[in-house]
Amino acid sequence: MKKNTVYATEGSVWKSLLLTFPMVLLILLFISGGKPDLTSTDKAFAFLFTFVFLVFLFFQILYTGKTDKYRAIGFIALSLFFALTFIVNLVRARGSMTFSEETLLACEIPFCHIVTTMIIIPAVLTNSIIFPGSIIGGFASIASMLVIVVGVSLALGRGFCSWGCFYGGWDDATSRIMRKPKIKKINPVFRWMSFAVLLIIAITAAISLNPVYCDWLCPFKTVTEFEKVTSFTVLMKTVVFLSLFIGLVIILPVLTGKRIQCATFCPMGALLSFTNKINAFDVRISKDQCSNCEKCTNTCPTLSLNTPDLEAGKPSITCMKCGKCIDACSKSAIHYHIRGTPPDRNFSWARNLFLFPSFMLLVIFLGGPMQTGIMLLFKLIKTGSLL
Amino acid sequence: MHISEGFILGLSTGVVCLAYCGPVLIPYLLSEANTLLNNTYTVLLFLAGRLLAYGIVGLLSGLAGAKLMQPSSGQTVFFGILYIILALLLIAYGFYRFREICLGHIRIAGKVYLQRWPYLVPVAGGFATGINLCPPFLLAITGAMQSGAILKSLVFFLLFFLGTSLYFIPLPFIGFFRRQQVLRIVGKFAAIIAGIIYLYKGILFLVSI
Repeated sequence: MKKNTVYATEGSVWKSLLLTFPMVLLILLFISGGKPDLTSTDKAFAFLFTFVFLVFLFFQILYTGKTDKYRAIGFIALSLFFALTFIVNLVRARGSMTFSEETLLACEIPFCHIVTTMIIIPAVLTNSIIFPGSIIGGFASIASMLVIVVGVSLALGRGFCSWGCFYGGWDDATSRIMRKPKIKKINPVFRWMSFAVLLIIAITAAISLNPVYCDWLCPFKTVTEFEKVTSFTVLMKTVVFLSLFIGLVIILPVLTGKRIQCATFCPMGALLSFTNKINAFDVRISKDQCSNCEKCTNTCPTLSLNTPDLEAGKPSITCMKCGKCIDACSKSAIHYHIRGTPPDRNFSWARNLFLFPSFMLLVIFLGGPMQTGIMLLFKLIKTGSLL
Repeated sequence: MHISEGFILGLSTGVVCLAYCGPVLIPYLLSEANTLLNNTYTVLLFLAGRLLAYGIVGLLSGLAGAKLMQPSSGQTVFFGILYIILALLLIAYGFYRFREICLGHIRIAGKVYLQRWPYLVPVAGGFATGINLCPPFLLAITGAMQSGAILKSLVFFLLFFLGTSLYFIPLPFIGFFRRQQVLRIVGKFAAIIAGIIYLYKGILFLVSI
């Protein structure tokens, strides 16, 4: 059965182009920093390719009415290019992906948003930041990342996890590998597990004044940086984070079709869930249009939609606003919504207002790594080396 | 284990205590008290019951610890094994369904006395849940015994009480607490994760011999 047109831009080239135009200007601004560097063929190609790629994705989101389908392409590209450029930079600077005691003491560890979950209580109690990174200045400083996290969480809530997180694309990608997942039924209570992880690591970090999640658990150390194995304890840490990466980011997402790491383990996701309550955008389910086919509950990659949620007319606070359920609903019963407005009207308006800040976030994070990544790939083809 | 770790243990496992005590206290608060002041009074009485239970157990643990805990190589093995057993219990506890107690039953059984002394209900509830041998509580007993002295054991339990009691601060605002089920699920998962951490600590105890 053909789905009815819901959005004003859906199927209309002119309307889609018109709404894409402001985003074109924003993409130009953000990926060039106001002054595009076209001094070499490689740089010019990387710039143009990134620009066309991002414009194409945004246009397709508007024209086809499919949010998740095109979001995921950009989001997965973000994770891959981020890891590629990050690792190459590390190897250039330090000679390997590992860091040593000296790096820790020099406070040269780049700050990632997940650390936010562990620094709040110690910062309040001791007036100090328990992370060996740079407060301001340098690459990925603590202040800049905190500003981004606070700003994005106020604007999009947990939408950050599907539009801006440079790790989320990993299990978003692996969860799409199998068309029909082997494990179909997962107890929805697992969506609350990340809150327990948040609770335990926030308390443990406050007690030990050590970012324990980064130290022991973060699976994404596998694709960024990790401590050099110099003792039995560090070896244990390595075994733990590698096992978690293989289990939570590769095997379980492949078998279940869900973003298991993001949905059940990420403490940052749990923290951002609370901001879902205070930002302007949410997802609503029109009970009149819903046929209870439960396609959305089966599709939701974060276990945020279940039968009780359908009855309540909205997903749980863990919703990452990826749009997968919206794409899957054949009755067009699920929509982006702006709080304080009537839930069953102005679907196009709400969706467009949501898409602009969220896609802009993707552009901000993806623009730089993608251009650098393309140039690195050129270098690989030309010289046989990324370094 | 240093006695200040009683507070840390209380903080890290307090959500389990709240998850256990919540089904006891919250229905009572919902059915009985209706103002913030009344709710606060009830929660304080409940905590007083818990403190009484912890004081008794702290005293007994201190007595046992003073007898048992002479410095020896066997001490490390004893606590290593105890940590592992308790950690496994904590994990099993996380997976197992909570047994809910309703204070309403106590109220019906002792109707006459309770009309005369209404504060008995929350105090008895606090005492009953306080001596419940849940794994965090058993861990606290281990820590108190490890201190090896009665006074230290009592202080350990007092700090454990303070750590866990912080989670009870929001309870007077019970009107805002609509998702008890979620809280319990988070508590269960937290128990499992805490269990894994203590399991690792227990293994380290044994490895370090």
